[in-house]
Amino acid sequence: MSVANPPAPSAVLHAHAAAFTPPARMIERRIGLLFAATGLGLIAVMGVLGLIMRLTQATVIGLSEAWFYRLLTLHGVGMITGALLAMMGALWYVLNSTVPLRPGRMMAAYHLTGVGAALVLVATLIGGFGASWTFLPPLPFYSAGQWPVWSESVFFAGNLLVGSGFCVFCVDVLEQATTRYGGLSGALGWRYLRGRDQEAPPPQVIAGTVVAIDGLIASAVGATILTGLLGRTYDHAVGFDALVAKNLVYFFGHSMANLAIYLGAGVVYVIMPRYAGRPYRTSKAFVAGWTGSLIFIVTGYSHHLYMDFVQPSWAQVVSEITSYGALLPVAVITIYSMTMLVWGSHYRWTLASTLFYVGLGGWAIGGVGAVIDSLIPFNFRLHNTVWVVAHFHTYELLSVVVWILAFLAHVIERDAARTASRAARAWIVGLILVGGYGFTGTWFVAGALGIPRRYAIQPAGTSGYSVVGASFALLLALGFLLYFVQIGSLARTAWSRRHFVLVDHTDSWTGGHYEARISRAEVEPAVAERPEQPRSGLPLTTPAEFGFAVAACVVGLAAFFPQIVDAAEVSNRYHHLDHAGHFFFGAMLGLLLGSLPRISRRLGDRPALGLVAVLVAPATMMLLMVPRIYEPLEADPFQHALFHVAMAGFGLATGLGATRLGLVTGRVMLILAVGMPLMFAAALK
Amino acid sequence: MNLHYGDPQIAIGVTFAVLAVLLASAFVVVAIQAGSEDSEDRVHRVGYWLRKRWLALLLVIGMVVVGISFFDLPYATGGTSGRTVVTVTGGQFFWTLQPDQVAAGTHVRFDVSSVDVNHGFGFYDPQGHLIGSVQAMPGYHNELDLTLQRPGVYRIRCFEFCGLHHSTMDGRFTVRR
Repeated sequence: MSVANPPAPSAVLHAHAAAFTPPARMIERRIGLLFAATGLGLIAVMGVLGLIMRLTQATVIGLSEAWFYRLLTLHGVGMITGALLAMMGALWYVLNSTVPLRPGRMMAAYHLTGVGAALVLVATLIGGFGASWTFLPPLPFYSAGQWPVWSESVFFAGNLLVGSGFCVFCVDVLEQATTRYGGLSGALGWRYLRGRDQEAPPPQVIAGTVVAIDGLIASAVGATILTGLLGRTYDHAVGFDALVAKNLVYFFGHSMANLAIYLGAGVVYVIMPRYAGRPYRTSKAFVAGWTGSLIFIVTGYSHHLYMDFVQPSWAQVVSEITSYGALLPVAVITIYSMTMLVWGSHYRWTLASTLFYVGLGGWAIGGVGAVIDSLIPFNFRLHNTVWVVAHFHTYELLSVVVWILAFLAHVIERDAARTASRAARAWIVGLILVGGYGFTGTWFVAGALGIPRRYAIQPAGTSGYSVVGASFALLLALGFLLYFVQIGSLARTAWSRRHFVLVDHTDSWTGGHYEARISRAEVEPAVAERPEQPRSGLPLTTPAEFGFAVAACVVGLAAFFPQIVDAAEVSNRYHHLDHAGHFFFGAMLGLLLGSLPRISRRLGDRPALGLVAVLVAPATMMLLMVPRIYEPLEADPFQHALFHVAMAGFGLATGLGATRLGLVTGRVMLILAVGMPLMFAAALK
Repeated sequence: MNLHYGDPQIAIGVTFAVLAVLLASAFVVVAIQAGSEDSEDRVHRVGYWLRKRWLALLLVIGMVVVGISFFDLPYATGGTSGRTVVTVTGGQFFWTLQPDQVAAGTHVRFDVSSVDVNHGFGFYDPQGHLIGSVQAMPGYHNELDLTLQRPGVYRIRCFEFCGLHHSTMDGRFTVRR
């Protein structure tokens, strides 16, 4: 006679982990594996491109400058996309047991990102687009005869889709987390911080909510500049303010790259404790730290503009302070606390757990390189040298990518109920450490020498650094190869065990333990059994909120006054600002109407439709906001008026759509949608 | 002209190397200790005590380092009185400097701009030490003040990706004895 205990994770996890480690359900494993495998596949291909570029700089192979910059562009976008994709899947894996997420939305995010990545591939490899992932306006339109206009459109559309995919993921995380934990202050842990909640949300929920908010802001900023660039491809009259456009591009690109590591932090909080046998609990310091990160993640981009001396001085000073500030929660809350977690824990060293630990080190060491570069006097001497390449490769490659490897290993090792051999683990980790730090270390040394980044042809006498760097990269590649061989072997074992799990049984007579096979279906609740989360309410509920919306509509009406419309003819900027006013009026009206209980009932519970509306309507409106489209219409007063009404119509669709996304997400999406045409007006001239 | 390590860059590199080695050592120590068994209560008691000090240390370092850095900002201040203004214009894929030479010891204000896309004015002294860089942007003028004591031919490289011939975009500036 025997008594069945919870499934035994002891084969690969810490003996005490069973107490706080739920079994991974089929849906979590599938989504986690799909995203991690796709992301890792993309990263592997981009890694090969990186190696080709390094060998070109070493003059080992003779790639033309044109091809070098195509690959450079593809490498940058592809790496960030791959890292984001894999980390989205990993966070989903650890979050879904606490905050039920929608698999449909996750798959929509997957397809949007996948199509986006494919378009970038076409634009660069077939179209020859090579303006780098930073695509600082107006460079994409000064091709020096290297790429056609269509490749510009395809590239921007691809980036727009990648951003949209991430946006869909963020909307779902934010909506579900705020619904489950009683609003934004609950999901961010602020209610717990103020003593209003006895229990804090788990760490992955707070990390996920922070990433979702910052991800939505970054996506909105990215969509703004990308639609502007897309507009420029069919109207050459569109011009850019180089400084504002640069701010928007770096806000988008830097934040996206940065968010991958913060997604990883959310994963680490859940998975590393499984090897330490100690759960990681949310503390007040943790909440405060992540509140700081909420701000620092989005302000961090600004250190890219230190050498743009015309950027206001106060912004440069704030940027330096916040860049240093970003270090504090990372160093004190995440890295230090995780080392505390493993200290004296009898840590279970497996392939996955070792890589998770190694990734923490990558973040710490890469972070030091970044903090040094974020001090303005140092940045003056290091800006756009390969030092920058060194520090971000240290934490993107030796932290984010290593964590992705760790996550994939974790899922497969659990399913296989065995880990890689000690020797294989030592070789893999050894090659990654020696190859990885040798690879990035060479860039640190070359950066101190003053070698500029993004050079197809290295300055005279410096190609030796590229030879050394490429040699270490080959060692790193060998480490990855060994990893994939091991994962393949573990995956075969996992596949053979796909229909059952090992369960720890206790013999009631002798008290002895043994493992027995039972059907996986017996221990995994079916996904369909999980109840749908209740809706999180409408964005406007109290009379005061309705009053505010009415007042906002009245203010927005000013954009239609003939005097304002005439005054807006002075410049494209004012003109676009007036269009932003029309959009604002429509958006507030939509929010007001959609929040009225009677209309809300008629609209029904259509979150997917709401999401499509808030994503598509503002982007379409901005795509129409180019002189080539609106100037011919303005010759006729009726058509002119109709165009302005259409701007308000896009706002109305956005506002109505926002009301289908619940109280918090609806408000956040509306604020961002209203901000987009305002940023658009500032960046384009 | 071959590149050479500048003194500030050597200091920065050594500082980074020392910090990286210290961090790596700390990770090795923790990894060794991770294999042992220690009570969670004790780890929390000691760990949280240390964590407060760790935060305080980082705050103090931050205030000192960031504070000192504000005394060495590269941004030009004040008017052009007593300075020779050198107009620097970047374009795909050239630099023009007007005037293109000054006498040693001249206080120079580089007025840096671009006629097309973003470029970066990366300035090297005659021995190949990187002095620093400033962006060249279309529609904007970035001003950099330098006093050039060392005579010889200074080199300019592009420090912002600007297209096909970015890596061979080259300029020169002469400081006479």
